[in-house]
Amino acid sequence: MSDTSQDRAPEGDDSQTRPSAMGGPLRFLLSNEFGLIVLVLLFGILFSTLSPAFLSKFSLYALGRTSAVNIMIGFSMMVVIITGGLNLSVGAIGVGAAMFGGWLMQAFGMPWVPGVIGGLAMGAALGALNGVIIVRSGLHSFIITLATMSIFFGVMIYLTRAESYREISPAFTSYGRMKILGVISPLLLVTFAVAIMLSVLFRFTALGREMLVAGANARAAEISGIRVNRMITYCHMLSGILAGVAGLMLVSRTGAAIPSMAGQLGQDWLLPAFLGPVLGGTLLTGGRLSVLGTLLGSFLVTMLTTGLLLMQVGAFWIQTYLGLLLLAAVLIDLARRSYLERRKLL
Amino acid sequence: MNTAQRVLAAGLSLALLPSATLADESTRVALVPGGPHPYFAAWEQAGADAAKDFGLGSADYRVPQKWELGLQNQMLESLVTQGYNAFLVFPGDPVGTVAIANELAETGAPVMALAGCLKDPSEAVFCMGTDTGNSAYLGTKELLKQLGDGAKIVHFTGFLVDPNTQLRIDAVAKAAAEGGAEVIQVIADIDAPEPAEEKINAYLAAHVDEVDGIVTTAWVPAVVASNALRKIGDKRIVMVGIDHDEVVIQAIKDGFVHGTMLQNPYGQGYIGSFVADRLRSGCTVKADAPFKSNALTDKFIDSGTVFAGANDVDNYVGSMQSITKVLFDEFESTYLDC
Repeated sequence: MSDTSQDRAPEGDDSQTRPSAMGGPLRFLLSNEFGLIVLVLLFGILFSTLSPAFLSKFSLYALGRTSAVNIMIGFSMMVVIITGGLNLSVGAIGVGAAMFGGWLMQAFGMPWVPGVIGGLAMGAALGALNGVIIVRSGLHSFIITLATMSIFFGVMIYLTRAESYREISPAFTSYGRMKILGVISPLLLVTFAVAIMLSVLFRFTALGREMLVAGANARAAEISGIRVNRMITYCHMLSGILAGVAGLMLVSRTGAAIPSMAGQLGQDWLLPAFLGPVLGGTLLTGGRLSVLGTLLGSFLVTMLTTGLLLMQVGAFWIQTYLGLLLLAAVLIDLARRSYLERRKLL
Repeated sequence: MNTAQRVLAAGLSLALLPSATLADESTRVALVPGGPHPYFAAWEQAGADAAKDFGLGSADYRVPQKWELGLQNQMLESLVTQGYNAFLVFPGDPVGTVAIANELAETGAPVMALAGCLKDPSEAVFCMGTDTGNSAYLGTKELLKQLGDGAKIVHFTGFLVDPNTQLRIDAVAKAAAEGGAEVIQVIADIDAPEPAEEKINAYLAAHVDEVDGIVTTAWVPAVVASNALRKIGDKRIVMVGIDHDEVVIQAIKDGFVHGTMLQNPYGQGYIGSFVADRLRSGCTVKADAPFKSNALTDKFIDSGTVFAGANDVDNYVGSMQSITKVLFDEFESTYLDC
């Protein structure tokens, strides 16, 4: 997992402005990801000091399981943000994919493997549809995905009549409740596996690099022979698949495919979808992402929420405290960067 | 808590018969709704009263800061870590909450579904709430008593992702068909202020002359529709609402609303907290307990619903007290082996 950058904006390409003699370990110590690791550790120490139950097995297991899904949701937004766009329909796609997978398993008695593949295929199809409409219309992805969010969710509700699918393979649902060594959720392992695959895609494959270049500077990418529209469509398709993975993880966790898993229109997913990538250092203007940063950013947000709940902060203050803590986290990171720049270490 | 709820709480505290000597002070009950909603406000006082009356360690009302299934799950997990050992939960989703309810039960904590049910099978000992379909049916019947044959009614209701909404829609349609009325419009997904204001006001502005009656089966639409009728100022349209918001009660007194279907959230929280403690003290649910069935579960206990019209509205607190007292007095002998 690594920070993957490309060459559009020199100011955004850390490798060009760093001292050439800087070694790999030192470079990591100066990175955004290291800053997030420090914040995770700081808040971990804070919460475990104020509430020792924070480190109980049950608490750590629950934290890992919730984080696994939130990180996946962050990934599904991240791969669209690199195009300079966004995908407001991640929740609707995730629920649509999960409901389709659940329907296959219940209505046709499918084993979980083909059911999951079917669900992911639905996620890919809905994501690709977003991409095709965006490149064909030339409109911003904000508008298109705002519309498709309602369309996808509305069609899903119409077809399912808001009923859940419960006849899911026990092998699949037991996976979401399994505990490895009493602490680790297998869902977290799925998330780590996907993170590694995304890192390989964007760092070591031509396809991943072309996606990044297309997002960084579409005109330059076109001149270089990259089919930008195709790359944008691929990114949305990948986003749909990742949203589908998140939705199916929730199916495994809850034991059923339920229409309300992402709230009205799938809007419950929007905050975790944006927070992870943005905190993690993915550029909103496109062309740069950080898989590790998104993973850490999403984990930090989940940990803050869990910690605040454990500290019995008044329910209606949690959002405020969460906002303040996130602001503090960003400002601390900004201060770290300023310090490094003054020392000419960045 | 408004004045009426305080009266209700105080009245119930005095009227019900506490058995604190049998209570376990280590019992810590969490009353967890799906999110913020005025319907659940009475649970806070109900928990506090139950803790005091029955000598529980605590019975605390814990509200997820928004209606989000994942957030409710996260809060419930956190409450286990904090040491709560009994849970009264409004399921964020009747199916989606089953898994977390089962996990809570695995910790040894009694889990009850309150105000809304979990879909069977689940580890919840029972579900206690309003029979939503029956409430909608009875409310529509009350409405149709005031309207002649061929009346045109509209139905304002809650979120479509809540399967209870479909039950309400079906129940209203059934009552309308039986009464020779026509449901000309169902507007759902409006149990929140913004969509309710927008959709109800827009609909009535365009179709006020075509509507003879209104039935609402969710809290916020009842409030918004009551206000809308007051603004229109025409008492020709007959409305039956739901719940006991001050706006609805006042509209009934002023003649803009015909009546409301009362529910019993205080009784749910109070009796639920009592039962949680009894179960922790060794009582068990009777194998032959006379549970009712609904679309979600075969372990349903009706917490009561009653129509309050203009003649009853001044004494609606008393009506709910009566229902709660009857339910409480007979609960242990009817449902528990102690």
